[in-house]
Amino acid sequence: MKALEVKDIKKTYADKVAGKKVEALKGISFDIEKGQIFGLLGPNGAGKTTLIASITTLEKPTSGELLVFGDSVIESPLKTKMKVGVVHQEVINTGFFTIEEILDFQSGYYGIHRNHERCDYLMHKLSLYEHRNKKVKQLSGGMKRRLMIAKALVHTPKLLLLDEPTAGVDVGLRESLWKFVQELKNEGMSILLTTHYLEEAEQMCDGVAIINKGQLLFNGTPKDMIADYSQKKLILIMKNGETKEYIESNKVGIGELLTKYDIDIAEIQDIKIEEGRLEDAFSKMVSL
Amino acid sequence: MIIFYTLVKREIKRFLKVVIQTVVSPIISSFLYLLVFGVSLGASVKLNNGINYLSFLIPGLMVMGLINNAFQNSSSSVVTSKFSGDLEDIRVAPIPNSYIIWAMGLGGVFRGSLVAVITGVVGSLFHYMQLNELLYVSHPIWLLYFFAVGGLIFAFLGIFVAVLANTFDQLSAFSTFILLPLTYLGGVFISIENLHPIWQAISKLNPLFYLINGFRYSMLGQADVNLSIAVGVSLVGVLVTFFMAQFALTKGSFARW
Repeated sequence: MKALEVKDIKKTYADKVAGKKVEALKGISFDIEKGQIFGLLGPNGAGKTTLIASITTLEKPTSGELLVFGDSVIESPLKTKMKVGVVHQEVINTGFFTIEEILDFQSGYYGIHRNHERCDYLMHKLSLYEHRNKKVKQLSGGMKRRLMIAKALVHTPKLLLLDEPTAGVDVGLRESLWKFVQELKNEGMSILLTTHYLEEAEQMCDGVAIINKGQLLFNGTPKDMIADYSQKKLILIMKNGETKEYIESNKVGIGELLTKYDIDIAEIQDIKIEEGRLEDAFSKMVSL
Repeated sequence: MIIFYTLVKREIKRFLKVVIQTVVSPIISSFLYLLVFGVSLGASVKLNNGINYLSFLIPGLMVMGLINNAFQNSSSSVVTSKFSGDLEDIRVAPIPNSYIIWAMGLGGVFRGSLVAVITGVVGSLFHYMQLNELLYVSHPIWLLYFFAVGGLIFAFLGIFVAVLANTFDQLSAFSTFILLPLTYLGGVFISIENLHPIWQAISKLNPLFYLINGFRYSMLGQADVNLSIAVGVSLVGVLVTFFMAQFALTKGSFARW
C-alpha cells in the first residue's frame, strides 16, 4: 500500500490584494511508497507548503484527491490525521507551557493518555529531556525545532511531513536531525520532506518531486533527475601533459565522448569525472 | 473523551498560568464598581421595585464578570494560538470542531464563573457591612443554569470573533462597539423601569437584557423580565452562538498573525 497518493491536486485562491485568482497548485500528482523518504523540492512560493497544508487539512484543495495509506484526506480527515505527523515550517512560540506540558497536550489531541514513556523517549532522543520544565520562550531556535519534531511524533505516525525542518538550524543540529530522520525511516516510517538543502535531499531521498509555480516538473529518483537534467565534467589528462575539459550530459559515456571529439584513447594518461549534482539539475529545471 | 479532556485541561491551565491578568484584574474592577456605584453612589439611588441598589447591582456585576471573562478567555485562547502556532496543532490533529468549541466554552464558563463567584462573595461582604444582612440566592438551580448558558454564549461568541478577526483592531472593535454597549445597556447598572418607554423598548431588543435579568431573578427572586422568556432567549443564544463558532472554525482562517 502506498503511504501517500497525490492525484491531480489543484488549489486556487483569491488574492484580495491583487484582485485576481491565483493558482497555487496546478494539478500535482505523485506517490510515496511505504517506508520511503520523499523530497518535495522547489523554490520559495512553488506551492510546497500549500500541498502539505492540503494533506494536513489546513487547506482544502480545489480539486483532486489525496490518499494517506488508502484513506481519503477529504472524505475521512479524522482517520488520515491519526496516521500523519507534521512539523510545520514556522516554529511554535507558545508562551504558556513547558516542553513536558506541550507533549502531554499533543498526546491528548491524539487520544493518548499518560504517554510518558513515548514522550520521555522522544525528549531523550532529541536532547530535550533536561529542558523539559522550560517554557518555549526560554528555548533556543534549535530546541524549538526539536520540540516540533517531538510533537509530530508523540502518536507514532505512519507518515511524517517535514516542512523545511532544518531552516535556520546550525550544521551540527542539521546533521543530527537527518540522522534521526534516517532512523525513523529504518523503523518503517514514511517521510515527506521539503528542504532547500539539495545535497542532503540527494543523499537521503528515495524519490523526489520538483515543483515550481504550482506545476510538477519532475517526479522520480534523485539519480534519474541528475542523469536527465545535470551535466558532468570530464577532464582528460593527456600523455603530452595537456588537460582537456568537456562538459556533457550525464547520459554521455566515455566512448561516445572520445568518438565525438575524435580522441585517441592511447593518448590519454588519466580520466577524471566530476559527476553532476542534484543542485545543478534543480537549478536547470526551475530556470527552464 | 481523552481528546476533549485534554482540550478542557489546556484551556483551564492556560488562564490559570496568568491568573493575575485573567482573574485578579477583573475582580479588582468589580470591587471598584461595588465601592463606587454600589456603596457610595448607590445609597442615593431609589429603584421603583423597592430593591436596595447594592442588592440590585451585585447580580449585574456578577453577570458582567461572567460574560466578559468567558468572551475574553476563548477569544484570547484563539488569538494567542494564532500567534504561537498552537492552533495549527489542534487543526491537524483528529479533533472534531465540536470538541474545540465545547472545550473553549467550558474554559470560558470556568473562568467567567470564578470571577463572578468571587465578585458575588465580595459583593455580599459589602452588602453585609452596609445593610447588616446577608445576600441570599433565591433560586440556586436557575443561578447555575444562567452561569452555564451565559458563559457558553459569550465563550462561543469569542471563538467566532477571534477566528474571523484578522487583526487585534478587529477583535477590540467588537468588544468596544458591540459587547460593551450591550452590557451597559442590558441592565447591569440600571433597571429599565427607571428608563423612558423608548429606551425600555430598545433595551428589550438586547439579548443580554434577558440574560442579566434571568441571573438577577435567580439571585433576588425578582427582575424586569419573566423567567421563562429569559430561559428561552438564553437557550436560543447558546444554539445560535454555537453554530456561529462552528461556522467560523469551518470557514475561518488559521493563518498565523
